[in-house]
Amino acid sequence: MEINLVTDLPAIENPVNEVMVKAIDLGKVVSTSEGPLTILKGINLEIKKSESVAIVGASGSGKTTVLSLLAGLDNPTHGQIFLGDDEITAMDEEQRAHTRGDKVGFVFQTFQLLSSLTAIENVMLPAELKKDPEAEKKALRLLTRVGLDHRCHHYPRQLSGGEQQRVAIARAFASSASILFADEPTGNLDSKTGALIIDLIFELNAEFGTTLVLVTHDVRLADRCDRAIHIASGVIVAGEDIE
Amino acid sequence: MIHLGLALKLLWRDWRSGELTLLLASLVIAISTVTTITLFVDRLQQALLLESASFLAADVVISSSAPIRPELLEYATKLGLEKAETLSFLSMVFSAERAQFSSVKAVDGNYPLRGKLIVSDEPFVGGAVSDGGPLPGQVWLESRLFPSLDVKRGEVLDVGISGLIASQVLIKEPDKGGGFDATGPRVLMNMKDVEATGVVQPGSRLTYRYLFAGSAPLIEEFSAWAKPRLNENSRLIGVKEGTQGIGNALNRAERFLLLGGLLGVILAGVAIALSAQRYSLRHYDHVAILKTLGASPNTIDGLFASIFVVLGCVATLVGTLLGFLFQQGAVTILGPYIPIALPAPTFAPIILGMVTGFVCLLSFALPPLLKLRGIEPIRVIRRDFEGGGASDKLSYVAAVVGTLGLMWWYSKNLELTLMIFAGGFCALVVLALLSMTLLKSGRVLGMQAGSAWRLALGGMQRRAKENTMQIMVFGLAIMLLLILFLVRTALLDDWKAQIPEGAPNHFAINIAPEDVEPIEAMMRTNSIDPQPIYPMIRGRISFVNGVPAATRDEAQRNRSDEEQQRGPRSNSGRNLTWSGTLPVDNTITSGQWWGDDYSGPSLVSIEKDLALTNDLKVGDALVFNIQGRELPAKVASIRSVSWDNMRPNFYIIFSPGSLSEFPSTFMTSFYLAKDQKLLLNDVLREFPTMTVIEVDAVIEQIQIIISQVTLAVELVLGLIMVSGAMVLLSSIQASMDERFKQHAILRTLGASRKLVLGSLIIEFCALGTMAGILATFGSELTVYGLETQIFELEYSFNPQIWVLGPLVGCVLIGVLGTLATRKVVNTPPIVVLRDSV
Repeated sequence: MEINLVTDLPAIENPVNEVMVKAIDLGKVVSTSEGPLTILKGINLEIKKSESVAIVGASGSGKTTVLSLLAGLDNPTHGQIFLGDDEITAMDEEQRAHTRGDKVGFVFQTFQLLSSLTAIENVMLPAELKKDPEAEKKALRLLTRVGLDHRCHHYPRQLSGGEQQRVAIARAFASSASILFADEPTGNLDSKTGALIIDLIFELNAEFGTTLVLVTHDVRLADRCDRAIHIASGVIVAGEDIE
Repeated sequence: MIHLGLALKLLWRDWRSGELTLLLASLVIAISTVTTITLFVDRLQQALLLESASFLAADVVISSSAPIRPELLEYATKLGLEKAETLSFLSMVFSAERAQFSSVKAVDGNYPLRGKLIVSDEPFVGGAVSDGGPLPGQVWLESRLFPSLDVKRGEVLDVGISGLIASQVLIKEPDKGGGFDATGPRVLMNMKDVEATGVVQPGSRLTYRYLFAGSAPLIEEFSAWAKPRLNENSRLIGVKEGTQGIGNALNRAERFLLLGGLLGVILAGVAIALSAQRYSLRHYDHVAILKTLGASPNTIDGLFASIFVVLGCVATLVGTLLGFLFQQGAVTILGPYIPIALPAPTFAPIILGMVTGFVCLLSFALPPLLKLRGIEPIRVIRRDFEGGGASDKLSYVAAVVGTLGLMWWYSKNLELTLMIFAGGFCALVVLALLSMTLLKSGRVLGMQAGSAWRLALGGMQRRAKENTMQIMVFGLAIMLLLILFLVRTALLDDWKAQIPEGAPNHFAINIAPEDVEPIEAMMRTNSIDPQPIYPMIRGRISFVNGVPAATRDEAQRNRSDEEQQRGPRSNSGRNLTWSGTLPVDNTITSGQWWGDDYSGPSLVSIEKDLALTNDLKVGDALVFNIQGRELPAKVASIRSVSWDNMRPNFYIIFSPGSLSEFPSTFMTSFYLAKDQKLLLNDVLREFPTMTVIEVDAVIEQIQIIISQVTLAVELVLGLIMVSGAMVLLSSIQASMDERFKQHAILRTLGASRKLVLGSLIIEFCALGTMAGILATFGSELTVYGLETQIFELEYSFNPQIWVLGPLVGCVLIGVLGTLATRKVVNTPPIVVLRDSV
């Protein structure tokens, strides 16, 4: 599938050696009927600006939990998380939500589009929540960029899986996020469509200069990233970079 | 931060996708039901009050044995009330040949202020409405006076020393009471002629009645102002005090209509809560997505609150409009069956409907929505995350406060509100516990039954929590409907029993002892149903346990208890009687009734209000003063008396033989059909000392009023049943998503439509039966409280309900449930599964 580049998208500064994501002694314990269960323990990591990092590991290793904690979707039991200069573990949900809206974009395995909104309305959402008057214009540009300008007014149920994921990618970049978190972005797609989606994510990541953190168990996908962090049984077993 | 544009977009899309249909429908039905009931009840109440006012010929009357203070009349003029005056007295009326003891009423030009005078040219015919009373120089005579006095229209009669022309036949007057004012046939004359008759002399027994009419607030203001300014010979009578029988019927009907409205509000609230809960549940994922995109909890609150305010406004407007149209439609359709003209509706019920809509929205719909703020964004990755535990409590508190507030505001009766609420709450707790127990016992049966049974009961077991909630909702709805049905049946039975067909409609007093037997014989000859003839002797209690009764009365007067202050006094003169048999409708509340053949020392039975007011108990030693002589007697029993049964009733009854040494007259009551009325002339001619009090007109009016309130009661019951059905549908709809998914999977795995449909029918019938059993239990308890505490009826166990309740539950829920979930078996499984991903 041919993807059109839109030249008037905002230009992003070249990467510098700036830390965008930092976790210190991160741990997550949940209570179960059999007692407390440790999901993560002593996670320390740093991810630099414009870097692409894959978090890999077997099912149940805790990789998705790491992603949800780093993105501020969940609270750790202990430890600190910084997104840029902001410590999200010291924030309440209200502040965390604003930080997510300002700095973070998401791409999920199950697309997570609002079924009652059309493609363009889904892409407009992040900007709309910030009351950006340019929301529609930006959304249209992004949809054109991902090759779906002709499907703007279609509902998610009228789109294929690959198209839905492209809408989700466009939405992730609509908030001018500096960090993109992706959770198994190709998990629900066939290999051909999956490959196209991966290409698109890396292209846009390079274009916008965003930091990419993705969770996958696909080795080929992990290989395309600058580096990979391996997690097993809730601890980092390879690729940690805290000095 | 409020994102109105985004909120409107989401609202519109939710509406288009059908997400809001049920919630909006519940809201619209809640508001339209409340508006319909309130508007209809308001119009009916206004009409009934107007109709009842015709019993007084006014909205309020001051009755007095002497002219009242002029300042009272001046104040009425100042308030702009309409006024009229009547003067009643007993007098002989003479024709050329004959004389008749008659009840004369003189009226001024404004009489009557409410109701109509019906007159005709011929006696004993239907007649037509007259705009006013007789002109000066004329009298109108009741039909039977024409043959009795042997006069024709246009001939002159003597009333006192004045000659007046008998110009019309008086067929009906609105305020013909049942007291001594109704002793003898009516002669209606003009007030201006009274002085010329010369009958009003110092010492004459006269009844002055001052009639007032106006708007309800003005009448209330006047009554409150006038009451403390009346002397001891005057009495202020409002519509409800006008006639005890009607007053009770009206009060009870009003309470029933309020009860109906209350139950309507609760049912509507439950329907809204269920729909809002479903709407909220179906938006958990949306909220989680919005949160990952940066929507904060406050943004979520703002978004959904905006959606709800808009939804509330639309529902209120549509609901109010529909409510107005429904009641107009009901009035149009039922117009021919409603025997009175309904006044135009007022604006107050429309406001009530609107406020009810918003309070329902805040109490029942908003809490489930506020739960959305607590949804964790991580739900986009792990769907089992919900959050929002604190707002569960908020939901319950809001629903309790909202329900209580609405019920109280609606009924203005805290006792009724608390009673229904407590009954409902206890029933819900019991319902929840029993539902869980019943559901657990289902597994044993399910394992042994056929496939559809196993599927149904297994499903019930798996969804025990949801099904418990559903049984509670079904149970609550059926319970409220049963309560209304039971109270309505008890009320109607009580009214029917109050004045049965052929109830005595004439009282005969002052019967001489030697006339007792001939009167009984005459009644037998004329096929008049004989009633007991009671001796009647005037007397008073002079001592209670050695203390003078007058001293006790004085002490009683200083007590703080208002009800006791107002009750009957022990020292007042009363009609005494004796009897071996306990009179009909009397019930012994303490002590024992003596037998027919009792012949021991004098005993008395005291009516319970007289006993309560004056602290009289079984065993107290009383001394009576009768005709100047003293008679000691012991209190043997306390009785309740049904004062509105139109039979001779007594505060004090002696044991047989106690009063044999005192000369007495006798009294009785009897029923005369309309076509037997002329017989009265012959009876009175034959027994001239006897006085007959005619209460047939009063009874007829009571029966009309009762038939009207009965109709109102039935209508309200019908409207509430519609609300109940809506709740049942909402509850079934709330469980549709889960059922759809489960049965779609089953069908993909090869389950036949018959199996799925069979399991649905069994499941709903079983849920309905359980709900019916529990509803019966709850309604029986609540009805006991309502009937004994609020409606002052005698409670009786309702065995038929224990069969009817579970049966209604099974059939109603079975049919509604199966019809509502037909889609489950008719929708291709792939459609369901694709939509649910």
